[in-house]
Amino acid sequence: MIMRPGQQLLLPANPVFIWGSLLLALLVNMLPLGRVPWMPDFVALVLVFWSIHQPQRVGIGVAFVFGLCMDVHQTALLGQHALAYTALSFFAITIHRRLLWFTVPSQALQVLPLFVLAHAIELAIRMLAGDVFPGFTVLLAPALEALLWPVISVLLLVPQRRAPDPDANRPL
Amino acid sequence: MPLGTLDRSPPPFFKQGPSALSKLMVFSALALFLMVADTRFKLTQPLRAAIGTALYPVQWVALRPVLLARNSGEYFESLQGAQSAEAAARVKLALQSQRASQVEQLSLENDRLRKLLALRERVGTTSLAAEVLYDAADPYTHKVIIDKGAAHGVEAGSPVIDESGVLGQVTRVHPLISEVTLLIDRDHAIPVLNTRTGARSVAYGDPTASHGGTLELRFMAGNADVQAGDILSTSGVDGVYPPGLPVAKVARVERRADSAFARIYCTPQALVDGARHVMVLRSMGGQLPPRPPAEDRVPASRKGAHK
Repeated sequence: MIMRPGQQLLLPANPVFIWGSLLLALLVNMLPLGRVPWMPDFVALVLVFWSIHQPQRVGIGVAFVFGLCMDVHQTALLGQHALAYTALSFFAITIHRRLLWFTVPSQALQVLPLFVLAHAIELAIRMLAGDVFPGFTVLLAPALEALLWPVISVLLLVPQRRAPDPDANRPL
Repeated sequence: MPLGTLDRSPPPFFKQGPSALSKLMVFSALALFLMVADTRFKLTQPLRAAIGTALYPVQWVALRPVLLARNSGEYFESLQGAQSAEAAARVKLALQSQRASQVEQLSLENDRLRKLLALRERVGTTSLAAEVLYDAADPYTHKVIIDKGAAHGVEAGSPVIDESGVLGQVTRVHPLISEVTLLIDRDHAIPVLNTRTGARSVAYGDPTASHGGTLELRFMAGNADVQAGDILSTSGVDGVYPPGLPVAKVARVERRADSAFARIYCTPQALVDGARHVMVLRSMGGQLPPRPPAEDRVPASRKGAHK
C-alpha cells in the first residue's frame, strides 16, 4: 500500500464510534440556539469526514437519512438537507483517494468548495420555493466548517491513533 | 478496506454495491420528489410525524443543557430582582383584576343586549397551556416548536397567544410537539381591526425588519385613517381567531405621493422573540355555522370569457 511519507498507520475504525460521532453531531446541531444563519453544520462536517475516511461504512444513503432528520428538526422543506448532504457525500467519496495525500490544512482548503456547494444548494432550493434571503452571514457557515476541519480530523482519529499493542508504557 | 489503516479483513474487490454516481442519482431524485410532494401536494405529513417522533428523544437530550443553563441562571438571580419582579406582577394583577371584575358585569350586560337585539351569542373558546421548546433553526422562516401535540388535542390551524397578544398559528402537528408559525413569518397573514376607527384590514408578516416594524398593513388607501400608535386587534371575521385579541401596534405610516396605497408598518404586541409560556386556543372553525351554498355565478366580464 502506497502512503504519504510520515503518515501514521491507523487502527481499524470502530463502527460504534462512527455512529456515536454522527449522533453526537446531530445532537449538537439540535441544540436550541435560536435562528443563527452562520451556524456551522456539524452533521455535514462529520458526514464528509467519514465519507472520506470510511467510504465503505458511511456513504450517500446515510447522508440522505441524516438530511431528512435535519429537515424535520428545522421544520425546513422536506428533502432540502437530504439533497445537500447527498451531494456533499458524493463529492467527498469522489475526492477521498486524492485528499488523504495532502496535509490537514490543505485538506481543509479542498473541502471548502464542498461545503460552499452544499449551502448553495440549500439556498437555491429555498429561493426557488419563494423564501426570503436570510442575510449575508449565511456565507460564513461554509468557511467556519472548513476551519473546523483540522479540529475534527484530530478528534475523530484519536481512537485510531492508539497503540496497536498496548503495554505498561502505552496503556491506551 | 479504508486507506492507511491496520484493517485485517481483505478488501472486497468485486462486491462494491451500486456505484456512487447511481446512488447520487437515486437519492437526489428521491429528495426532489419529497420536496415537490412537500410544497405542492402536502403529502409528507405522515413521514414528518414519524421522523419527528423518532427524533424526539434526541431533541429531549439536546434541550437539557439549555434548560439547565436557563434554570440555573434563574436560581442564582438576586433576591432584589425576584422581589421587584414579584412587585411588578402584583401591580399587573391588581390592574387586571379591576378589569376582570368589570368584564363580568359587561359580559352579563352584553348577553342581555344581544338577546334584546336577537343577535347570535358570542362563541367561547377553550384553551390549552403550552411551553415553547425552541425556535426552529431554519433561517428562512419564523417558527417555534411547542411541547403539546396531537396527543394533547392540538389541531392544525389553532391560534396561539401569549400574555400580551397573538403570537401565531399552529401550522403542523406532530404526535408530541407542534410547529407554530409566528406572526412575522413572510407567509403569515392575519385579519385585524383598528380599535380606534373600527376599520378592518389584513396584516402581513414582513421579516426584513430594516424599516422598523415586522408586520405590514397592505392595500390601505393613501388617505386611510391610520395613525402611529393605533392598536390592532383580531377582527374575528376569519373564523380562526376569536375577536378582540391584541395583535400589533402601528409603528409608522408612510404616505407617498406616487402610490395609491399607504405603507403602514406595525410591531407585534406579543413577544415573538422571547415567548416561553403560550396558550393554544381552539380554532373557531368548528363552532361557526356552515357557509351558505355558493350561488351560480354570473360571468363577470364578457370580454375574454370565451377562449
